[in-house]
Amino acid sequence: MLDFVLMIIIVLSAILALIQKDLLKTAILTGFSGGALAVLFQILLAPDVALTQAIVGAAIIPIFIALAVKKTQRSDS
Amino acid sequence: MNELIPLMVIIPIIAALLISAFSKFNTISKILAFVVAICLPVIAIASNYGLHYFGGYEPILDNVTGITYHPAIVYSFTFLQQIFIAATGLLAFLVIFIYLAKYRKVSGPYLFLLFMGTASVTAMLLTDDIFHLFVFFEILALAQVGIVAASSIDYSYEMALKYMILGSIGSPIMLLGIGFLLALTGSVNITDIVYAVHNGLVDSKSPVFLISLGLIFFGWLYASGLPPFHTIKSGIYSKAEPHGAALLQSFTVISMISIVLIMFRIYSSLQIFEVLIVFFSILAMILGVSLALTQTDFRRMIGFLAVGELGFIGLGIGLGTQFSITAGLFQALNEIIITALLFIGFGAIVNATNEVDTRKLGGLLFYHPKVALMLLIGGLAMAGVPPLSGFQSKLMLVQASLNCGYPEISILAIMVSIATFVVFVKTYYSIFLKPKPKDLDVENKQVPKTMIFAMAILLIIVVLFGVYPDVVTNGISNFVGGIL
Amino acid sequence: MAQTQLAVLFTSTALIIIGLYSAIFIDNIIKKIIGISFIEEGVNLFIVAIGYKSGGIVPILMPGMDASWFSSNSAYPLPFGLVLTSIVIGASTLAVMLAFVMVLYKRYGTLSTKVMLADTSKKEEYDE
Repeated sequence: MLDFVLMIIIVLSAILALIQKDLLKTAILTGFSGGALAVLFQILLAPDVALTQAIVGAAIIPIFIALAVKKTQRSDS
Repeated sequence: MNELIPLMVIIPIIAALLISAFSKFNTISKILAFVVAICLPVIAIASNYGLHYFGGYEPILDNVTGITYHPAIVYSFTFLQQIFIAATGLLAFLVIFIYLAKYRKVSGPYLFLLFMGTASVTAMLLTDDIFHLFVFFEILALAQVGIVAASSIDYSYEMALKYMILGSIGSPIMLLGIGFLLALTGSVNITDIVYAVHNGLVDSKSPVFLISLGLIFFGWLYASGLPPFHTIKSGIYSKAEPHGAALLQSFTVISMISIVLIMFRIYSSLQIFEVLIVFFSILAMILGVSLALTQTDFRRMIGFLAVGELGFIGLGIGLGTQFSITAGLFQALNEIIITALLFIGFGAIVNATNEVDTRKLGGLLFYHPKVALMLLIGGLAMAGVPPLSGFQSKLMLVQASLNCGYPEISILAIMVSIATFVVFVKTYYSIFLKPKPKDLDVENKQVPKTMIFAMAILLIIVVLFGVYPDVVTNGISNFVGGIL
Repeated sequence: MAQTQLAVLFTSTALIIIGLYSAIFIDNIIKKIIGISFIEEGVNLFIVAIGYKSGGIVPILMPGMDASWFSSNSAYPLPFGLVLTSIVIGASTLAVMLAFVMVLYKRYGTLSTKVMLADTSKKEEYDE
């Protein structure tokens, strides 16, 4: 049951990230999607991949995007 | 000495890291770069043919099914790999030599990119593991982007970012194709995959197999800059420094042939595979030459001509006989050398005049006669004039397409060669022979001696292959006989 | 359950399609790059799903396990190893692209792709 919920979270947060007007929210929602993906990898019997994805997808990528947004502009226009 | 096989990849990577780390010490990094660059072609020539199993994991024979598995990454080194690695190594040496002589203070990161790119194409040629190929394909894409972005030409950042965005769409799609193959065969070793496909363990009519072909083919189109990616590919050539562009086009050619040979081994049983390759190659030939005709920037012109020449390689491989594949691979080797010669030669002109628009140039024959002569021979070789190397490979291609029963293709190939000649002569006339425009300032500007030296070495190889093509074609033909 | 594997395949397809859509049609360059990272995540998910075995165990051989029982019940670990590399490649590519965006933003003052990555030959004519 948990896996289906996770898949819905992944797809929904991916779509929501792309329709935000505020790019900082986009960064946070990308992190949601990556984190849920990490848990899904754990359920799919790949604990090593899950660890890497948790660090990269839930922490590093959102931080990179947030830094880029901070250096550029916050609104999508 | 089989131990040298992995060193061909490891030495440039270590050199790249060391130079990048010690880039503060200018002299040390210059000497290190020069020594390693000389080593690159020498290692390839000194090494013996053979296989190298990483970690010492030899193939395992399954006693129940009688199938051999390869548990580790395998590098295979034959005559084909040797000649192409030696050619790239030589080119990398010349490019690094030009770069070291041009600047008093060298940039560590730029040398890092040059060495990393060379290492990754070497690994792509050697590897027998499709995922290993993908990893180096990504490293190569990053190195190419870096080489373009490091140039001082206007709008190089925009072009680099554009190339990178296209690349990051293209390479996951290729990875998806590899994933499909992995799902079908349970292995990423190409020999295992080929065994499974040819012995009926995989249904070669199944849609999944076809989808994997389509996805990997898309990645190949991106890697080799065939249409629809021809504009971006010629764009990155024109935005890189001339010596960088000479190396970039060799990276393109080698990644093209290494991926297409792997695809050929896996998918050669499918009829549609050869049709696809021939179709895109002909498209590249026609589009490349006709777009080259309309350019006023001569770097861009050479870029489009280089894309058009890639079509000849694809044509040879797409026809699928032993003779035609030999011709295609020989054409690839010639193109690496001839296009590098043209890029370096035109780069010398940019160096001397700071002008790239053919409409504003003219009358340079009396100022730079050596460059003019060598460029003329290079252009004639590209167009396929005897007794130069381009003639030999194009003649073989025309014969191959006649043997296969496609006279239309051979006529088309001859027409594209003539069109290439026209484009080249038009540009050559407007740069060297036309009366000099009044506002063009060419006094007191010398062409660097290193560029003349590099062009002379490449020219010697062009003439050598033109007179004695058998030196190379016999060995390539043996290799092709092995994979058919 | 084979259901899980099928659902995972659907999810990865959805991620790839969302990513392709945003990489091609969205004008904002940062969202375009995020779309590209979604494509990569979708492909990674697909490759992990290949190795998954419903009702299987994590492919780590613990002491005391029978080797033949292990090999028939564990998931297939080769795709997992590939995905590890692929995740790291994706993150580094993303970082390089964002660095380019930061440099180009200083020059143009906008994140719009139409302005930033317009055909360079037209820009050069405009400069003249």
